Amino acid sequence: MVPVLIMLFGGISASTELFTHLWQTVLPDYIVNTLLLGILVVILSLIFGVTAAAIIFHTNIIGKKILRWLLMLPLAMPAYLVAYLYTDLFDYAGPVQRALRECFSWQSPDDYWFFDIRTLPGAALILSLVLFPYVYMLARTAFEHQDQHLLRAGRSLGLSAQKSFFKIALPLARPAIAVAATLVLMETLADFATVQYFSVNTLTTAIYDTWLGYGDLATANALASVLMLFILFAVIAEQKARAGQRHQSHSPDKSHEAVLLSTVQQVFASIFCWLLAIGGFILPFGLLIIMALEYSDVEQLIALLPTGKNSLEVAFYAATITSFIALVLGLYRRLGRDRWRILPQQISGFGYAIPGTVLAMAMLATFGPLDHWINNFAVIVGVQEPGLLLSGSIFAIIFAFVVRFAAIANGTVESGINQIPNSVDLAPASLGAGLTKTLFKVHLPLLKPSILVAWLLVFVEAMKELPAVLLLRPFNFETLSTQIYQLISDEMLEQGALGAILIVFFGLLPIIFLNKNNEHKQNKPSNENNESIENNENKKNPNNRNLEENT
Amino acid sequence: MSDLLEIHQLSVQLQNKVILSDVELSLQAGEILGLVGPSGCGKTTLLNVIAGFIEPCSGQLTIGNEIKVSADNMIAPEHRNIGMIFQGYALFPHLTVDANICFGIDKLSKREQASRINPLLDLLKLEDLTQRYPHELSGGQQQRVAIARALAPQPKLLLLDEPFSNIDARLRNELMIEIRQLLKHLNMTAIFVTHNKDEVFTFADKIAVMHQGNILQTGMPAAVCKQPNSWQVADFLQLGSWLPVVVQVVDQSNSLVSAIGDIFVENSPLDTEHSEEDHSDTAGIKKFITGKNSNGSLQLLIKPQFINLCMSDAPANVQIEHISITEQGYHYLLSSLSRDDCLKFDQLSFYTDVLLTIGQQIKITIKSHDFVIFANTHF
Repeated sequence: MVPVLIMLFGGISASTELFTHLWQTVLPDYIVNTLLLGILVVILSLIFGVTAAAIIFHTNIIGKKILRWLLMLPLAMPAYLVAYLYTDLFDYAGPVQRALRECFSWQSPDDYWFFDIRTLPGAALILSLVLFPYVYMLARTAFEHQDQHLLRAGRSLGLSAQKSFFKIALPLARPAIAVAATLVLMETLADFATVQYFSVNTLTTAIYDTWLGYGDLATANALASVLMLFILFAVIAEQKARAGQRHQSHSPDKSHEAVLLSTVQQVFASIFCWLLAIGGFILPFGLLIIMALEYSDVEQLIALLPTGKNSLEVAFYAATITSFIALVLGLYRRLGRDRWRILPQQISGFGYAIPGTVLAMAMLATFGPLDHWINNFAVIVGVQEPGLLLSGSIFAIIFAFVVRFAAIANGTVESGINQIPNSVDLAPASLGAGLTKTLFKVHLPLLKPSILVAWLLVFVEAMKELPAVLLLRPFNFETLSTQIYQLISDEMLEQGALGAILIVFFGLLPIIFLNKNNEHKQNKPSNENNESIENNENKKNPNNRNLEENT
Repeated sequence: MSDLLEIHQLSVQLQNKVILSDVELSLQAGEILGLVGPSGCGKTTLLNVIAGFIEPCSGQLTIGNEIKVSADNMIAPEHRNIGMIFQGYALFPHLTVDANICFGIDKLSKREQASRINPLLDLLKLEDLTQRYPHELSGGQQQRVAIARALAPQPKLLLLDEPFSNIDARLRNELMIEIRQLLKHLNMTAIFVTHNKDEVFTFADKIAVMHQGNILQTGMPAAVCKQPNSWQVADFLQLGSWLPVVVQVVDQSNSLVSAIGDIFVENSPLDTEHSEEDHSDTAGIKKFITGKNSNGSLQLLIKPQFINLCMSDAPANVQIEHISITEQGYHYLLSSLSRDDCLKFDQLSFYTDVLLTIGQQIKITIKSHDFVIFANTHF
């Protein structure tokens, strides 16, 4: 948290002259682009996600079981990968337009109109294709947890099935949908690589350019501060939305009958869902595999090893440290009943809202001077200067990851802790066991699954994270994501297809893992604990990305 | 008066499991029916079939004159004009009390809506709560809102699914009487489901006892209690204890041999599960006993009020196992002293004002009354 404050301070203290200059030149454009992108992505994601959730939960379309989890997979796709693959596919030189030209014997681009994907709406479409699963999952979970008696009550009061959906189910799911929309918004504001690739200038690309292009730390800080303000608004809006989320029946009846659709409706609903699944995951993943099959060889595989090792190493440290901190904070809160004990957890949870670019700027703003100070100190003491000990090593990256992903681990561990009945804290003492023994013999074994999930989620996120690494990495330090970004920028993804598949594969892991767990739960509905697991996960930390895996 | 609701040979299967089989039921306008039975017997399913949330796989269902539902003619719940009060009430949490009640009549003009709901608000004492949200109400208030909401569209039939289960036990009776008076005042026909027999006696005009997807007996509560038609009905309604007996025919009349002595039976209707028409026919009973039960044992239903404590010095026939104090006096559970396995019983229950001690051996006798006996098939 402290680094962000330092950055904000640095941003504010940046000369007013600089700001007026920015304001007169590019800043308005950046802000308009950023806002427009955010709004478009949120709207598209809502349309995609809510409709898909309603279709999957409320109707009887064929292939519901497959679509149910297929629609979550786009989350595993980094947006910049999809952006690159689709550009490849739909560009003037791409196979789609070539085929069209051949088919209709057009000669030049003047003969026909084809949408240009490398635009702001194109970027919005791509981002919403990979981000809509947030909305889909939260909306579907909300629908699933609704008391089905409410819908029945609506029917018995004379409403048709469709009307009961719009008048009852949808308004009740509104808080969950609002949370999902803010998640989508935060992700969009934090996105860097997609907009960069499409040359849509937003605040994130501006930060990156001013720092790496012009080496202007003060301006970059200023821009990051502006972006931070937007995020702050999103977070506040989200908290407001959650404030209304208090109604849930105590014992919701979840037995429900699907609305039977006519054949035509079935076909349209199925096409809609399949298009989303194909557009967001199947098509790009298929293209990646084809690419990998065509271009990869053993050499490439060997070249993958060092970057892969870097990625794994950074992700491993970040996941371990984050999970450990989450566990300590969670238990700290649990074992005392004071209200303020929740504070450290809440503050550390805030990091998730901070875009990677901003966070990286904050790290630079903090650790840069700190490094200088350490070096000066070393000179005084007479030891050899350690160089850029903090900002120039993977320490900064891991630190940034820990800050950024603390919310994920906190939320997961916290929901695990909440499932342990309070009496369990007291029972060992009545049996004569001390606090340490209680923690190690009772709480840790009970929390093992949650810790594992937290670790996995952070690990995967750390593998995928790009902008922070890009700004903070030491010289010549490559991870899978930076390498792929580099190759994408050079239009040579073929070389990195294997690495990209690896990232997607790691992204799939938690989705599949958690989905399996949930299917398992659904197989024995008599177990009430499982209900509470889902409910807990549902009411978790606002910034918590883990919500996404909640089926 | 014609029947408002008629159910004929109604069967329901869900996931290849028979939930209801050949249910027969009829209800006259203005009657309140209490549907009781152990959990899982299909009460709520029957309610949902009537409301239209579950499709029957065979049989007919007629509501009023217009609505005739069968397996091939399904009518959507919104077109049935049936009000329903759900377990937990299912109030819309995002709407105020006012909006909840008006939910089913929002097609009417504001003025008509007001003229509909104002009397209801008045009757149910909800006038001051109209702008509140459901979570700001107590359980009893929520229930009254649910009733107002269900009654606002003026349904022909009102269904209530365990309406009193969430109410504080102390308030329950009061509320039941209040709501019964309201329904009677509106001449509303209603079916309510419960697993608590006491609610039926307070709330309903008619009782229907369900067991494993069937309605075993329908009738006035008093009549059903007096003359249960099966062991399950008597057992579910906890009408009394069971005493194993053997019939002996002496000089053209029967006596029942039991662990507490012989009981003389004068021309009493004897019910058996298998020969319901065979009342009070000595020869028939005898035939039944020798034919169906090799050990010849039957179960005699003994209601607590028919047990007399015999204070004479005659030899004891029971031992006291447990004492509890109730408003009706001391409640004793008795065990048998007989070692005859065939006649031994687990417990008899009776009330008296006399204080006895645990382990004390006493003599009891059975007053003569219309005995109810079932074949010993359930042990």
